[in-house]
Amino acid sequence: MAPSAKSSHRKALEPTLGHDSIDDYEYSHAGNALGGVGGASQAAASGGLNAGKAQRRPSAQPMTAKASFNPINSARTSLLNVLSGTKGGSKKNRNGAVDGGDYADAKGRRMSDEPTPAGEVIRNYLMNTSSSSSFISASSTSSAASTNTSSGTSGLTKDRGTLLTPTSSMMASPLSSPELHKHGLPNPAKSPAQLASSLGHAMSQPLSTFNRFDEIHIPPYELSENMISILEHPLGRSAQRAYATSMGNSASGGLPYAASHAQEGTMMTMLTGPSATNGGGAPGAVASQTGTLVGGKSGAKHEEFGFCMNQNWRYTSQYDPKAKEAEELQPPYYILLTTYFSYLVMICLGHIRDFCGKRLYPQSYSHLKPSNGYAALNSDFDSFYTRRLKARMDDCFSRPVTGVAGRTIVTYDRISKDFNENFHLTGTRRRALNISSYNYLGFAQATGGVADAVEAGLKRYGVSSGGTRLEAGTLDLHVQVEKLVSQFVGTEDAMIVSMGFATNSTTIPALVDKGCLVISDELNHASIRFGVRLSAASIRVFKHNDMRALETLLREAISQGQPRTHRPWKKILVIVEGLYSMEGSLVHLPELIVLKEKYKFYLYVDEAHSIGALGPNGRGVCDYFGVDPRSVDLLMGTFTKSFGAAGGYIAGSKEVIDRLRIRSHAMAYAEAMSPLVMTQIMASMASIMGVSPPLASAIQPTIHVPHLDAMHRSVSESVLNMTETQLAHVPGPAVYGPAPSTTLPTWLHLSPSLLNGTEGRERLRRLAFNSRYLSGALRKMGFIVYGHRDSPIVPMLLYNPAKMPMFSRMMLDRFGKDKTPIVVVVVAYPATPLISSRVRFCLSAAHTKHDIDVVLRACDEIGNVLDLKHGDKKDRWSADECMRRAEEIVFSN
Amino acid sequence: MILPPSLGALATVFSESFVLYLNLLDRLPGGPIILRYIRLSYKNDPIRSVFELALFLFAVHYFLMSKRKENKDVLKLSKREIDGLCADWKPEPLLDPVTDEEKWQLKCVPVIHGQNGAHISVSLQHSKGTQRQVVNLASYDFLNLNESERVKEAAKDTISSTGVGACGPPNFYGTQDVHVRLEEDLANYFGGEQAIIYGQDFVTAGSVIPAFLKRGDLCVVDSGVNIAIQKALIVSRCDIEWFDHNDTEHLEQILKEIKPVLDKQKPIKRRFIVTEGLFANTGDLPKLPEIVRLKNKYKYRLFLDETLSIGSLGKSGRGVVEHFDIPRSEISITIGSLANSLASSGGFCVGVNPMVHHQRISSLAYVFSASLPPYSARAASQSLREIGEDLDKDGKSKLVSKLHDNISFVRATLAKSIPTQYLSIVSEKLSPIIHLQLNEKYRESLGFPLFYGSAEFLNTGKPSRTLNEFSHSLNWESFILQKIIDGCLLQYGILITRSHNILKHENLPLTPPHLMVMVKVGVEQEELNALSKALSAVVPEVCSRYASEASFLSSTNELINY
Repeated sequence: MAPSAKSSHRKALEPTLGHDSIDDYEYSHAGNALGGVGGASQAAASGGLNAGKAQRRPSAQPMTAKASFNPINSARTSLLNVLSGTKGGSKKNRNGAVDGGDYADAKGRRMSDEPTPAGEVIRNYLMNTSSSSSFISASSTSSAASTNTSSGTSGLTKDRGTLLTPTSSMMASPLSSPELHKHGLPNPAKSPAQLASSLGHAMSQPLSTFNRFDEIHIPPYELSENMISILEHPLGRSAQRAYATSMGNSASGGLPYAASHAQEGTMMTMLTGPSATNGGGAPGAVASQTGTLVGGKSGAKHEEFGFCMNQNWRYTSQYDPKAKEAEELQPPYYILLTTYFSYLVMICLGHIRDFCGKRLYPQSYSHLKPSNGYAALNSDFDSFYTRRLKARMDDCFSRPVTGVAGRTIVTYDRISKDFNENFHLTGTRRRALNISSYNYLGFAQATGGVADAVEAGLKRYGVSSGGTRLEAGTLDLHVQVEKLVSQFVGTEDAMIVSMGFATNSTTIPALVDKGCLVISDELNHASIRFGVRLSAASIRVFKHNDMRALETLLREAISQGQPRTHRPWKKILVIVEGLYSMEGSLVHLPELIVLKEKYKFYLYVDEAHSIGALGPNGRGVCDYFGVDPRSVDLLMGTFTKSFGAAGGYIAGSKEVIDRLRIRSHAMAYAEAMSPLVMTQIMASMASIMGVSPPLASAIQPTIHVPHLDAMHRSVSESVLNMTETQLAHVPGPAVYGPAPSTTLPTWLHLSPSLLNGTEGRERLRRLAFNSRYLSGALRKMGFIVYGHRDSPIVPMLLYNPAKMPMFSRMMLDRFGKDKTPIVVVVVAYPATPLISSRVRFCLSAAHTKHDIDVVLRACDEIGNVLDLKHGDKKDRWSADECMRRAEEIVFSN
Repeated sequence: MILPPSLGALATVFSESFVLYLNLLDRLPGGPIILRYIRLSYKNDPIRSVFELALFLFAVHYFLMSKRKENKDVLKLSKREIDGLCADWKPEPLLDPVTDEEKWQLKCVPVIHGQNGAHISVSLQHSKGTQRQVVNLASYDFLNLNESERVKEAAKDTISSTGVGACGPPNFYGTQDVHVRLEEDLANYFGGEQAIIYGQDFVTAGSVIPAFLKRGDLCVVDSGVNIAIQKALIVSRCDIEWFDHNDTEHLEQILKEIKPVLDKQKPIKRRFIVTEGLFANTGDLPKLPEIVRLKNKYKYRLFLDETLSIGSLGKSGRGVVEHFDIPRSEISITIGSLANSLASSGGFCVGVNPMVHHQRISSLAYVFSASLPPYSARAASQSLREIGEDLDKDGKSKLVSKLHDNISFVRATLAKSIPTQYLSIVSEKLSPIIHLQLNEKYRESLGFPLFYGSAEFLNTGKPSRTLNEFSHSLNWESFILQKIIDGCLLQYGILITRSHNILKHENLPLTPPHLMVMVKVGVEQEELNALSKALSAVVPEVCSRYASEASFLSSTNELINY
């Protein structure tokens, strides 16, 4: 199998098809260009398998046939790979030979086979001016000489355009993608020549972020194979066993599981394909069971919500007073020094560039200078940071995406030829593992029970609610959602607002005015600061999450009174967030409640990130800490994050909320919430709560690891005890019970697994496991990670500014054996202090443990190259050890 | 000089450690330079070294002191006194409960069952929640696009591929292709270079204006602008000059007066004229051609809020700019709503590239908030197509001309039949929202003031620090209007609405409350005819009950038990 012309084409394709299968420890893909596949016969068999899947899928599950990847094509690509003669086929194929217990170990061994020299990686990386992914092939040492680095970006674009897929010749005609043209304003079909010229035109426009979508031709999306493997996550033996056990359980009374699985019909079909390769006896049985289980169209897609059967990979998010809080580690001094030094260098360079640029290219600075008697819209001083520092990594922000922002997301590839001033779509797309979206409970789905409910809502209500709440924009849905939200949160009443940001910025001015004091955490969200600025209240700030500092400030404020006059304050409002979005830290709510009793201030908790994501019942920080929600005066939250919707709510006592209804700007002047958003909220919220009747039954976790068995059982028992004590102490709606079915509209039909709350609970427990696993493992591997262990937001510190764009690009264009692209969010000044630039992972219940393994491995590889491991030096674990001992990481105190 | 032995030993230790530190300094990068400086300075003039040391110490002292001086008038209290003060302090309630007099405002909100469109099923809390089928002349969806099947189809398409929420801010994977397309569509349709979308219409002004106007910049503002702009101006902390509502002569006078001051300004500051395309408070149009002439003459930029005028003015719904046939390039910043005529949700801003680009980094509500749900973006794109594609021979949008026909029809019938002793029409002829105000004489007989709220903001340019007090007159006037609305709804099956302003938050003097009739497409002419019949019957019936101020006293129970 000598490298042929075709194989060099293959290399050109690799970046987009980004190859290595992430699941190849259990079954290998034929098209495993880099990882290597034993022989042609196996490869052909595997290719045949793909084809087989292609035939099977449509008949078993019509929904999947509509899905965006094309199994036939993937099979064809696999065959193409075989023909092109892939290299490095010396490795053993461990098909079916891996047992659930040691698969991670096996994988680890294989992963460590081929180390990539860090120096070469960086050099190759720096050679690349664009953010495009030619990097992978350039850096893969085992492969033949790369074609990409020499061909330059324009060549690359062309290559991608023409060579991407076997069907590319068909795609050259604009007619082949009618769905792109029926969208947007009318646009006559263009010939390739016209397209090219319009592209050129788009490039000449200054400051445009994208080419015009209508002008660029984007071929239909084709899934890369490593993504196919992530989507069809084959079940290992352990997962199969878990599945079988749960099926057994269902017969012996564990009904909820069976019900929930019945709804996951699509996942079940997914199961049949891969498991066949395992060649064991079990798959047949599973497949036959699957046949009976597939039902309804409400199954969820794997790319939106990962399928995870292993009941060991669950955890209950709950406050544990005994658990020691993770300490915040400091980096070595050289990191701090180099960080300041790099900022210094960049600022100097920026000023030099400005100085020269203003003299050499005055026209490109014209919008920053006064001209013709008009002042500049923004001064060059104000925009210095964005022009000279942030612009260097603009390719890591605002990446255009399409499709559900669920477990995976499709990003449009783009390149820049003028140092990130303009971006141009290359015409390719990539599906990447999504660890950045606010999708904590995985309700960002276009399929499944909640999505079906939204479609029903659309038929009934249309898109708009048509006005402001006080005029004629109040639908019956608004009333129902407000009632449901108050039951969910555990307060008397609630009010909903059509935008999360506006919830804070319109409510706070209604609460405080002149003579009132707002005490705010220093890291509070911009919307809170905006709201306080709108009100005429005074504001004082206390150190982040420092209850002692807060108490000192309170004592001072109360004893000193208002400035100059020393009149007592009319009222003091303390505003904190439940879970801080950049730090991952949790508010110390119990202490805050004690302070509140003592100093009589009013408490406003912004639960934008914590609602749905924390607590054994998903009801936010109050639930997490076991605090009565009615002891907090106002609970604010958003629907964007955990419920896959938009907008926000304010919950509190009926008296306060009624007053807000006629005093808040949001009710009198702003648009009312859209009915579809409300349907999404109602369906997702009800499925977390469960609907009564039927009542949600408590879940007994099935445990397979003996030494963890006792520990976990005690956790679940304490949860049960907790809810019982709550029942005993707190009367009325504060008990987190199921949603009364009378609250929901009669037309809203939810599947049984949503109605009985089992699916909601599964999501909560998966999220809790994922959160603890990722943050714990990263710490174990030696990274500096901020935040609480139970937080679904995991910020990992990068420090040096140059490492931010590097990290983000390297995660997208992975260089190791496993090429699964990952999209991450990097954050820097001004959202964080100058020194502590970071990457922020947002976990989701849609992720499987396996997805997190992928992230861990990526962090490990990139962390070594970028020198990011500055955490605890003692007792460091390798990535593989973390993966193997995941349960231990999660369940230890 | 002979030192005592102990002091001598101390001096030795001191000098030794001094040398040690100097040696250490030598090893640091850049240390030798400092060392050389110290050596030279000592060699040349030892006194200078002492002086320099003193200066250095003073600088350190000053640096440390400056932080402490922040708060001068602090009372020194003992711990016990503080404890006592904390125990004694009694805060006011978080929010005052809704009083009996105001409770009706909560109860009068109509609840719509099912789709909001031209014909709706509505229930009122005080009529025991019975649902009735009525004609809807109260929602902002003037073109009735919420009932369009194609818009629904487009939304459904996006939902089945993308789900509901965008799940992230635009800068972090919240920019979907449908958002980019909508931005392109908006820019194309309204003739700007680029557009940017916001998650809600009300925050758009509040986020866009502070992104450009800072302390020291100047705004010349129409004194009838809506509350969103008022708040935005306050937050931006810029200097404000007010010109009388829709009075371009006054505007020119102001511009002329401040010109000499501005000419001396160096460097020149940003200057804006701020007005609305269709005034939300009064329903009239700005004199745009004259304003454009003035802004070009005096070199101001123009900020135009087209929240209500888009989709309703101009032959193809491109707003007040199209109505006056002025190119969009004359307007530096245009903001608008996707939630009104476009029957979706969110807001947007259109203008030149650098202006929009700046917002992507520094506009708070854009940067720190999740993107608009993708289906809303897609629905808005489709709505634009519905308006812009179906044209008649003269290039006029069929949908918009239907609306215009309906507006002129309602105006004509109302002009004939309205009981003029009680009601008068305030709004401009072309406005899709017809504002009806209680007649001046009638208001006078009831003792209502000319306007509500305070004029402090107008007079001083600084917003009043105290909030407006509750006004009984406003409460009663609104109640009378609500009675008229209820009459129309219960007896004639027509839903109209009234202006809902929160007096407490209004910084400018508030015009008396209006009855608002939102004319829309999808309503038949007979139904529009019925409106004038309803008004001519209900208004005298309600108003005759309240003839003088004394009648309020006698009917207080009616207000409380609404």
